[in-house]
Amino acid sequence: MSPARRATIEFLLDNLVWLMLIVVLAVFSLTVPNYFQFGIFANIFEQSTFVGVMAIGLAIVIIAGNLDLSVESTAALSAMVTGMLFSSSGVGMGIAFEPAWLMPVVSLLIALAVGGIIGFINGFFVTRVGMSAFIVTLASFIWVRGLVVAISGGRSAQNLAPPIRIIGMEDILGVPLLAWISVGCFVIFAFVMAKTPFGRYITLVGGNQDATFRAGINSNRILWTSFVVAGVLAGLAGWLLAIRTSGATANLGVGMLFNAFAAVVIGGVSLKGGIGKLPGVYAGVLLLYSIHTAINLMGLPAHFTQMILGGLVLAAVLLDTFKLRLREKLL
Amino acid sequence: MKIVRRTFIGAAIAGLTLATSAYAQDKGTIYYMVPTLLDEFQTESVSAIENFMGQVGYKVATLNADNKTDVQQGQMDTAILTKPKAIILAAVDFNALAPYIEKAREAGVPVMIFDRQITSTVSDFTSVAGTVEIGHVAAGEIQRLLTEKNGSVKGKVLQVLGDPGDPYTLDIQKGFEEMMADYPDVEIITKPAMQWEASNAGSIVADQLLANPDIDLIFVHAAHLAVAAVASLESAGKKPGDVLLVSSNGAPVGLDLIRQGWEQVEVEQPLYAQAAALAMFADKVTNGEELVPGTYDVLGLKSELTIEDWGPDLKIPGAAITPENVDEARFWGNLQAPEGPIEPVQ
Repeated sequence: MSPARRATIEFLLDNLVWLMLIVVLAVFSLTVPNYFQFGIFANIFEQSTFVGVMAIGLAIVIIAGNLDLSVESTAALSAMVTGMLFSSSGVGMGIAFEPAWLMPVVSLLIALAVGGIIGFINGFFVTRVGMSAFIVTLASFIWVRGLVVAISGGRSAQNLAPPIRIIGMEDILGVPLLAWISVGCFVIFAFVMAKTPFGRYITLVGGNQDATFRAGINSNRILWTSFVVAGVLAGLAGWLLAIRTSGATANLGVGMLFNAFAAVVIGGVSLKGGIGKLPGVYAGVLLLYSIHTAINLMGLPAHFTQMILGGLVLAAVLLDTFKLRLREKLL
Repeated sequence: MKIVRRTFIGAAIAGLTLATSAYAQDKGTIYYMVPTLLDEFQTESVSAIENFMGQVGYKVATLNADNKTDVQQGQMDTAILTKPKAIILAAVDFNALAPYIEKAREAGVPVMIFDRQITSTVSDFTSVAGTVEIGHVAAGEIQRLLTEKNGSVKGKVLQVLGDPGDPYTLDIQKGFEEMMADYPDVEIITKPAMQWEASNAGSIVADQLLANPDIDLIFVHAAHLAVAAVASLESAGKKPGDVLLVSSNGAPVGLDLIRQGWEQVEVEQPLYAQAAALAMFADKVTNGEELVPGTYDVLGLKSELTIEDWGPDLKIPGAAITPENVDEARFWGNLQAPEGPIEPVQ
């Protein structure tokens, strides 16, 4: 095989998920009434924000060779804390202060801190106590959601303070600001993962932790940091979610973990660790929400929605598996 | 040292005596099987049932099924083994719990159905507003709102269900759609918000506003979904009243949306009355006495007890909450639990 052909095939296989996204968008645009319009594409960007930001953290932990099942509950806790502090109805305390521009900053820092603390706890048990990440984060998935119910009493916080809520209402070039925030996160973390020592260490630790340790890299610290980063990003997702829904309910974010996992896998991140790139994950998230949006617009009976969505996710993952086999065969 | 020991033993005996005497005054324990604690109606139902049952002498142990049928089935098995005075069941799945109701009754444990009606088997008492009836009330109000807006019952309605696996939302849908079937000029677009998750409802509303900009009214099956729907309306540049909004269950957030002008009607499930009725009939149910059909006054609501194929059934009328009556204390969404003792039915 000529080097040029090999490079072309490699490029196509590396970016297959983007190709899939384009095909899916084209098919839906041609077949689903009202799908092909700028507003719908802006909606897809906006709706993929929360799972997208969550998926970045999840992907980093998975590339580092672990799992984090707690991101959904962490986002819910961060949303509820934001809602309770800065909403004026329901269980909201209605905290407000001047200058108003400081409110989004303070609420964001609190949300990130909430996520960071959960990530820190997860990392501690995995790296210091030596417990399985699956068990530790599964426990966090349960107790953190329990904490959401406990602190809210199962009630909602509503009417988020306007200086914070405005972030969910503004747009730049017709695309909601929330979507730009998730795009920004992907750009920053894609750079971090590809161009910084931390990113390279994450990939190395995920590929072979023992070898990395022998090479003089503090692999435990890298792992622990990956959990904190995942927690902080889940906290950010929760903050954005609270802004989007103008508060928080006790079941906010339920089901997002599985969407985040689907996006990560569709995006080409290996669950065995050491393999994966964040741009692919973003394509995976966009692909998922393109499907969600198409289902929202199609005149399908309500009961079939989950079935169709599951089938399409399976098809996407099968295509990804096919891609890996093709790569082995051709390259 | 001896003094300390004696004081400790004395306190322990005194505590034990007090506890025993308190227990002696109790009529026993009743289990309340709550389907989930992730919504405000269910959370408040726990407080109301514990409060009202406490007033008539029963201790309530609440078990949360986290919206999982198998978990609730396991909880029923466990509860039956402890031989409680009765079980109050708000079923996650109406049909899947039927065999467990039969099992409890065979074991001599009466079963009272709360909020979510089960008609496929016999139970000892049912206290419901009726989910199908909630759909009927909503349909009546929606017909009125469409007439006020468009001159007759015509227009486009977006119906946002809860989770499509939950019979509760499907019953409301059934009731709503059977009442709307007489109006062919109303187009109903139905979409489910998976797992009753608010941001899913918000996404549906955002997408549909683009695909169907002429939507006249949005009907969501729970007030917490209405909050996300309003957020999407707001993001789309809509003002209160531009798109009519109707919701069900009467949660505090829904009442707030009515006060803000975003929502026009909230169909209430009369939570306090439903819970109070359980306490009113608890003695008769636990003693296996016959329930007499007729009209009963439950917290001021005239409620009809009938004997159906599935047992004694008390229907408490659900109310339409509008801007005119939203502040009335009788609505549970105002979180003012009724004062005054519950009187058991003689």
